[in-house]
Amino acid sequence: MNAADSPLAARPAVQLVSGNHACALGAVAAGCRFFAGYPITPSSEIAERLSRALPEVDGVFVQMEDELASMAAVIGASMGGVKAMTATSGPGFSLKQENLGYAAGAEIPCVIVNVMRGGPSTGMPTRPSQADIMQSRWGSHGDYPIIVLTPASVREIYTETIRAFALAEKFRTPVILLYDQAIAQLTETVQLGDGMPCAERLWASGAREAYRPYAAAPGAVPAMARPGDGYRSHTTGLNHAEDGFPTQHPETVERNLGRLLTKLDSHLEEIASWECIDCEDADVLIVAIGISARASRRALEQCRSRGLRVGLFRPLTLWPFPENALQAAAAHARSVLVPELNTGQLRLEVERLLGRDRVAGLHRIDGEPIAPEQIAARAESLAKGTP
Amino acid sequence: MIVDSAPAFDVREYLRKEMMPHFLCPGCGHGIALRALLWALHELKVDKDKLAVVSGIGCAGRLSAYIDASTFHVTHGRPLAYATGLALARPDLRVVVISGDGDCLAIGGNHLIHACRRNLKITCLMLNNEVYGMTGGQVSPTTSEMRVTTTTPLGNSEPHFDACALAAAAGAGFVGREGTRHVPKLAELMLAGLEHPGFSFIEVLSDCTEIFGRKNEMGSSSEMILRQKSELRPEAYRDTVDTPFRANELPTGVLAKNARPEYGAAYRKAAAAIKAAAAKKGRK
Amino acid sequence: MNGRRATHSTAAPGPVPAAPAAKAREPMNVLIVGVGGQGVIMVSKALAWLAQSKGFEVKQSEVHGMAKRGGTVFSHVRFGPQVWSPTIAMGEADILIALEWAEGMRWLPYLRPESGVFLCDTKRIVPPFACLNRHPGAPMRYSRETPAEIREHVGEGYAIAATEIAEALGNERAANVVLLGALSTALDFPIADWEAAVAQFVPKKTLTVNLEAFRSGRDWIEQARLMTPVAEAPVEAQQPLTNAPGKVRLEITEEWCKSCDICVKLCPERCLRLNADRIVELADAETCTGCRLCEWLCPDFAIRVHFDEVALEGSRS
Repeated sequence: MNAADSPLAARPAVQLVSGNHACALGAVAAGCRFFAGYPITPSSEIAERLSRALPEVDGVFVQMEDELASMAAVIGASMGGVKAMTATSGPGFSLKQENLGYAAGAEIPCVIVNVMRGGPSTGMPTRPSQADIMQSRWGSHGDYPIIVLTPASVREIYTETIRAFALAEKFRTPVILLYDQAIAQLTETVQLGDGMPCAERLWASGAREAYRPYAAAPGAVPAMARPGDGYRSHTTGLNHAEDGFPTQHPETVERNLGRLLTKLDSHLEEIASWECIDCEDADVLIVAIGISARASRRALEQCRSRGLRVGLFRPLTLWPFPENALQAAAAHARSVLVPELNTGQLRLEVERLLGRDRVAGLHRIDGEPIAPEQIAARAESLAKGTP
Repeated sequence: MIVDSAPAFDVREYLRKEMMPHFLCPGCGHGIALRALLWALHELKVDKDKLAVVSGIGCAGRLSAYIDASTFHVTHGRPLAYATGLALARPDLRVVVISGDGDCLAIGGNHLIHACRRNLKITCLMLNNEVYGMTGGQVSPTTSEMRVTTTTPLGNSEPHFDACALAAAAGAGFVGREGTRHVPKLAELMLAGLEHPGFSFIEVLSDCTEIFGRKNEMGSSSEMILRQKSELRPEAYRDTVDTPFRANELPTGVLAKNARPEYGAAYRKAAAAIKAAAAKKGRK
Repeated sequence: MNGRRATHSTAAPGPVPAAPAAKAREPMNVLIVGVGGQGVIMVSKALAWLAQSKGFEVKQSEVHGMAKRGGTVFSHVRFGPQVWSPTIAMGEADILIALEWAEGMRWLPYLRPESGVFLCDTKRIVPPFACLNRHPGAPMRYSRETPAEIREHVGEGYAIAATEIAEALGNERAANVVLLGALSTALDFPIADWEAAVAQFVPKKTLTVNLEAFRSGRDWIEQARLMTPVAEAPVEAQQPLTNAPGKVRLEITEEWCKSCDICVKLCPERCLRLNADRIVELADAETCTGCRLCEWLCPDFAIRVHFDEVALEGSRS
């Protein structure tokens, strides 16, 4: 079903919706027809919305017994050929890592929303945080490819949810939608419903005998067999050969695992997404995501009004990180400022790409968003060369 | 009757022959359990293309790879959760779960009780060999008292689970138990479970000769199979009054059955009501 | 139900009830047999209690421990003015009540030739492990006698679908009381006393259904006595026991055999062995019955039993 067929798409063009609500609307518009979840603040509204919205479009909503099960059920539904999603927050995201790794390894498309709240552990359930940046990339054991998107507004949550499904289906990978509590529960007037085309999975076709579930050229994504279509293939979390069955043969493992780990590399242009504001002449480049990026935007205006050349680089695709775009944006910047709601996770990646000398962090961990004034003040001091 | 059609059933039609011989140890009861399942599926005339088998981790979990169907070998303890998603999303598929005692009762215990409660049409086989075989023979939730394992060197002192009582208490639509010793009975029980409209849980008492049997000096596979005869109480004798003679025997056969609504159907009914309400609202 | 009654009745025409009064001082010998769990003991207790309440000397002797291993449960009840021996000798039971068909067959030699009354449930409980097909062409190794055949051997016989009757009443477990009702037609005690005996031994909650079961069994026999014998049909469609319709052949997938020995050790005929390569082979094709136990118990799917057609003499292929 494409977005245009959705009853939700027919709703009034301008709406007042929250971030989590927009996520639910985006999922339905993208063709998501299965949601499994477990209650957790501050993501529960997504489940609540979809428990009503999915039956309206012949989809299925199920509240599972725990976070592990909801991730598992989503993968199960997707293995059945249905676009599927789950949503959670910090502690639940930790629990989902086990099966998320399975989805990555067995190449099962799915979308996982992680609304970041204060941590560690139970942390601050109702306060924003951006401390899951590294977990979203490296949370499950072993090496695996993953795509993480970080919307920064209600409208962007809607569009990025649709893009998340498109990327998940096209590249047969879990896609994480990572945004913070502040945006999740922010209500904005937005215009939705101008549906975007959502890619469909490549399904196996042709003779059963010729079908090999994981046979694909390097950089290519193998076609998936839909149960019931007669291919009767095997899916496993063990390292597998092209035929889908377990193997420990070194060359076969290297060939197949190698393809898996590099499958996104040749599509980075298609996957990468970022926003550059006033980067061309920036002396100070701010790099930020989510609520911190919104504050940075305001800070940028304040700085520019004071005659300071400050720019903003905002990755929308957080992982794989838009390396080239950042390097280009920061080409002339003397200083780079990374404001974030943690103790330096995004900064670590920026330092990796630009070197530690010109990168400074601005971190807040008290459960409050960073104020534009804080960022502006820090940017101003960097612009003036005072540490 | 399952016995009568025995000659027509060739197990090889349901196996991925290119994967054979399977990886199980010589004399492992799991192979016998797999035959019984395939026999029951044959009796049911299941379309292999519409059959989905989900299995967990461990010796039992590996069985799915040998079945000529759409098979999913998933994470440890989670096959029922994966199967729940699959069965809800694809009610046209017949979904069978193969799990072991550790997979199903220890790491996956929560999923088991909720699958029983939810009563979605899934058939779950728990192959109980009282041990974590693949990891080298550690104590499991079903290891009998005083049995020696690699983590209970002086004998297990933890009480063991009665998986069937657990499943029945949690509300499973169909609960049964049988040993690998009596293959036609086992296949018949599986057939009854597969035919049940709701969630069916079947505990298969299987033997691990190489690890559990050896450690406990239980003899060869044939001796372990014969041992089942003294441990299992046939269904026909379930309610005999002379309990002193059978206090330690495990009842077999169908142990619980109820007609609670199947969850998938119940959900689709509720969903239709939501859809109708939305349509009505849309018209206004 | 009526149809089945007619089908199963093996009553001889005319009233020929054997009443204890006719035998004066000789004890009445009633043998009750079945499978563990069916309620053999309950029937014998009720009968013993009733006989004792009528002033008879009663001896009851039972063996039930064997049911634990799939064996049989039986109870001898003897009552009369004076009873010495606690057990009934072969050929001396006045009445044989069997709660299970094969058990009835097993105990038939105990029934008094000519005059003995045989009351048998058509219920079949195939014992686990003993039901395995041991002969080519035979579906299961279980009593193959039909009620019609048995009629030849007993003075008065009834094959009653007691379990089905009890099921129809809503409690399968009342089958033994259905047979008790049948028994009541062969012994000269007042019906109210029979019912008191039932009340004495069944759980209070099930009294109503058990009393119905009692009357159903009694009515069934009384109606059956009025009927003339009709054409017999077997209890269940049986495959004829043919003599070697084919030759048994074992197809062994050697690459799959892991030498676990299960088939060799558990073959009922001991006709398998492991060869020099420790792969299973059929050592003695003549004794193999094709029971399939090896095929079923092979964890590696390495054995398949075939029945090859044997060309009959004179036939051309």
